[in-house]
Amino acid sequence: MSRKNERLVNLTIALLATKRYLTKNEIFRNIEGYEGSAESKERMFERDKDDLRKLGIQIEVGGLDPLFDDEAGYRIRPESYALSLRNLTPTQVTLLSLAAQAWQDAAFTDLSQQALRKLTSIGLDTDSSQLPVMAPKLIGADENLRSALDALTSLTTIEFDYLNVEGIAQKRQLQVYGVQARKSYWYLIGLDTEKSAIRNFRVDRIFGEVNSVGKSQSYVIPTNFEISELEPAIETPVAVLQVRPGAGYQLRRMASTIETADDWDLLELPIFDLAYMTSLVLWHGDDVIVSSPIQLRNAVLSALEKLVAIHA
Amino acid sequence: MPRQETGLARTARLLDLVPYLTTHQGIAITELARTFNTTVKEITDDLNTLWMCGLPGYTPLELIDLEFESGFVSIRNAETLAAPRALDRAEALSIYMGLDLLAAELSASSVSFAAEIENLQEQLRSQLISAPQVQIEASLRSEFRALILRTIRRRGWLEITYHSAANDQVAKRQVAPYELSQSGSHEYLQGYCDSAKAIRNFRADRIVEIAEIADQLWPSNQIAADQEAIEYEVRIHAASRQVREVLPQLSADSATATIQGFSASWISRAILSLGGQVEAIGPSEIRAAVRARAKAALENYH
Repeated sequence: MSRKNERLVNLTIALLATKRYLTKNEIFRNIEGYEGSAESKERMFERDKDDLRKLGIQIEVGGLDPLFDDEAGYRIRPESYALSLRNLTPTQVTLLSLAAQAWQDAAFTDLSQQALRKLTSIGLDTDSSQLPVMAPKLIGADENLRSALDALTSLTTIEFDYLNVEGIAQKRQLQVYGVQARKSYWYLIGLDTEKSAIRNFRVDRIFGEVNSVGKSQSYVIPTNFEISELEPAIETPVAVLQVRPGAGYQLRRMASTIETADDWDLLELPIFDLAYMTSLVLWHGDDVIVSSPIQLRNAVLSALEKLVAIHA
Repeated sequence: MPRQETGLARTARLLDLVPYLTTHQGIAITELARTFNTTVKEITDDLNTLWMCGLPGYTPLELIDLEFESGFVSIRNAETLAAPRALDRAEALSIYMGLDLLAAELSASSVSFAAEIENLQEQLRSQLISAPQVQIEASLRSEFRALILRTIRRRGWLEITYHSAANDQVAKRQVAPYELSQSGSHEYLQGYCDSAKAIRNFRADRIVEIAEIADQLWPSNQIAADQEAIEYEVRIHAASRQVREVLPQLSADSATATIQGFSASWISRAILSLGGQVEAIGPSEIRAAVRARAKAALENYH
């Protein structure tokens, strides 16, 4: 294994240092580690090229002088090999390292540490005088999120069991377009291939593991896709609630308008999810009355009647 | 947990060691091993391998020159590999998302780095094949986080304005903070609460305001044990996703269960919010409280 590592490093050095394309014969003759018959050298070189590409190193294939020889040659361009973040200020270096630390103890920790090592290899000073002493943490990032993010970087379709509202696990297939951390939960957003529609999934509602399906690079993220435009696209119904003065702190934070009065304050707030709004109203007991819409009012009334009936 | 090292991960480490050593001449092998999250033996193997690498010709003139017998590493003649490698797509995405969180946390504070973060994200976006959409919300404002961490270090006190969902009240409490921790999907501030005279957990996203309290001694008396748990019994009428999320202690397949809660008010509100999917069987005070609250709410509509 160590011989192979040595050969891969030597190959990288030679292909980086060369100013022109190197032919296979030049590679076999000059780079240490290519041994055996012509065919076995050939096989070795093919595997080595694959391995370097897996490491994200781009090997350029080009012709030599077409008049004399049409044998292909190889090189690695230093500008594609090296880190392209340029002219970083000390503040930016600090921001990057804080960003890497955000993953501490979470799903991406190994990758972000690797990235951080590359960044510190630039050898630039950091400047944290104006920045927070501690990095914020990305919370609740688990293995399933990691698998989904891997799928997002390689554009591989994923499959998982998802708990529906009835609490039953259903198989779903998704092409991930983006991720969102909202109200302390992670969401995957993308194309549900079976429903042929954009859907979002809360990661902690995934039951079991996330598995990849098929090959990488199997879809593209539409250029006109914007997470921030997803919600306003649908017209959000508005709930009108009467809330006792001093009560309903959470409802007040969500409200778009608040009209205060002596006995009941009047709140208007968007309903993103009727079931969620119903349980939020129920949580506040007799401190809240639903004025409209009728669907919310009926949902709350029937829940209350059921509660009274089963607790009789 | 570090993932299983493959031969390729080793190659990647060999390539990444060169630029790191170039800018960290004289680093101790032990520190190098720690930085690369591996053992001294592995790192020494790596150095021995690198020592055999160089430009074609492979005479001392072309080979990488490494010195590490003293336990400290220096490197020469490695210019070809001296630039740090480009971030791969997954690394770029991890940094990109971290920056998004930083931007969210910093946006509320007085010093903003929005332009610099935007510039970095722009540069990273070019490394991702097609731009993924990322949107991250912060659970705690950065100046709150800084103040909490500073107070933990100097063993001080904070006055936090906190929204308790169980009581639907916003109140000020004096807290000697111990730590910021994560549990499930949420971040918590743990500390000794002076009004409760016990250790309490506060959900970070429900902290409305924080202020420092000067010159107050750290609680010296032994702190009371945790809140006393309340045992209550429930019957499940519908095992929906919502029921599992509000009462995660429930096991999937039994119709009744005895579980624990910490506040009678929280328990009855939680059962109320489930709208009849779960019934409180006992103790009788909790069952009565649920009925009374539901009845009172219903009265409002008559």
